Amino acid sequence: MRVSRATRLSLRLVALGYLFVLLAVPIGVILWRSFSPGLSEFIASVSTPAARSAINLSLLIVVIVVPLNVVFGIATALALVRGRFRGRGLLQAVVDLPFAVSPIVVGVALIMLWGAGGWFGALDQAGLKVIFGLPGMVIATIFVTLPFVVREVEPVLHEIGQEQEQAASTLGANRWQTFWRITLPAIRWGLTYGVVLTVARALGEFGAVIMVSSGFPGVSQTLTLLVHSRYIDDHNTYGAYAAATLLMGIALVVLLLMTLLDRKRSDR
Amino acid sequence: MITVTSARKNYGSFAALDDVSLDIPSGSLTALLGPSGSGKSTLLRSIAGLEGLDSGTVTIQGRDVTNEPPQRRGIGFVFQHYAAFKHMTVRDNVAFGLTIRKRPKAETDKKVDELLEIVGLEGFRHRYPAQLSGGQRQRMALARALAVDPQVLLLDEPFGALDAKVRTDLRQWLRRLHDEVHVTTVLVTHDQEEALDVADRIAVLNKGQIEQVGDPVTLYERPANDFVMGFLGSVARLGGQLVRPHDIALERDRTTALANDAKVPDSPGVIDAVVERVVPLGFEVRVDLRADSGERFAAQITRRDAAELQLREGETIHARAIGRSSVVDVDPALAI
Repeated sequence: MRVSRATRLSLRLVALGYLFVLLAVPIGVILWRSFSPGLSEFIASVSTPAARSAINLSLLIVVIVVPLNVVFGIATALALVRGRFRGRGLLQAVVDLPFAVSPIVVGVALIMLWGAGGWFGALDQAGLKVIFGLPGMVIATIFVTLPFVVREVEPVLHEIGQEQEQAASTLGANRWQTFWRITLPAIRWGLTYGVVLTVARALGEFGAVIMVSSGFPGVSQTLTLLVHSRYIDDHNTYGAYAAATLLMGIALVVLLLMTLLDRKRSDR
Repeated sequence: MITVTSARKNYGSFAALDDVSLDIPSGSLTALLGPSGSGKSTLLRSIAGLEGLDSGTVTIQGRDVTNEPPQRRGIGFVFQHYAAFKHMTVRDNVAFGLTIRKRPKAETDKKVDELLEIVGLEGFRHRYPAQLSGGQRQRMALARALAVDPQVLLLDEPFGALDAKVRTDLRQWLRRLHDEVHVTTVLVTHDQEEALDVADRIAVLNKGQIEQVGDPVTLYERPANDFVMGFLGSVARLGGQLVRPHDIALERDRTTALANDAKVPDSPGVIDAVVERVVPLGFEVRVDLRADSGERFAAQITRRDAAELQLREGETIHARAIGRSSVVDVDPALAI
């Protein structure tokens, strides 16, 4: 099919315009608003006690969630690929549940389960604060990031099969040695990719976390909650822009890392 | 010596091993030969411990290993698709078993060097498996299996994934290696030519059972039944008996044919057949024939005999079996 020059140009213009208006303009506005008062203003705004605490909390959640997701993600992927047990189909479906359920629903469900009047409410009365505490935010983040490691590792496990592991066992390796020396190195790219996705999502999670956090500035605010509260509650528009820019910056680093890893992976 | 006693293994209702007992003498190179689904791979993997038996026992050098995991059986195993450790260099692949055993580095390096020389991969130490050809990968896998000084070496269709030329080369090479190293070796194959070529003993399996065990010559010349005969080498069906195509003589004169046939005891008699096709196969000539009964068979005769007979397609000739040694009566239950 021959397309006239005019049609081709206008098609291109529409596509670029669409991307520009929906992606570039909002990001550009935030960047411009963040840095137009000067770099020192920006640094001051993202280094207030509340902002520092928010950065620390966000990173703390990432640091707790990632190892848990790695361990359980690998175990689940191994069970799904290698296991022959009843309920495997069910597990397959359950793993994808966080993709299907809106994060806000997750938050509500967690409150009903762990909150003062919930099934596990006794814990709350015993003094272990799950809801409106760090454990609640961690559980909410785990819920929404659960599928990433599983879904990235699973196809790799399928692809490598079991022969290398069997070969290792005939050469004298026990299960543990086989896992560390053969299985883990073989799935490392899938695992890394799953971790990067988990980090990005854990940093950016808002809906589930806002439901289970007490939201006190300097205590229980993650970066996303800080952006929200500065804008909505404090009418501190500039502070919101600055925090959003910082969040974006961290996410950008993660994205960059992901792209680099992806390139390295496709090289192999 | 490997002894398998009354081994049984079922996958659902399918019996992969149906009461198999087999002795494999020390130092031998034994081939487990059979069609796919005959249980030969299951038997090998049971000896290795990669497959558990439903019942029966496996002993290796007098030690009952039935309930031992693969890593405590003193075996080396070579897989059809190499099972190379893709993220390790050739050196690290071969050294794997020694690294696991925490041998000193100097000893490991010496052993790896020796083995790489034996398998002809000295220059490939720092390569990764992806940079090797199929034949090289399989030789690396062999070196890796031999590095731990296994009591028995088990090979599961080791040349199955290679092309024809490389396969024959590696086969010869394995035979020479076995003559040097003398490790008890068991090789699974579905290729009768491969079994006859490398093995000094062959066990023929069919439907989860062992049909016959013996040296290649015995199996070829005195097959226990028509399955073994049909599986080792080609066969022709002549008057209700199975005969090797090269044990069929063709004669122009019916009287001579009858006189010659009378000297062979229990022969299938003289069969009149129409020549359908004459195919020169280098040294020999294959003659495709159709008996009066409508049954088709092929005879393999020398080029000189063919020249003397001057066979033309469409004419009738008289076929008879030479000698009784390779003749087996057809079991009506097992039509081939």
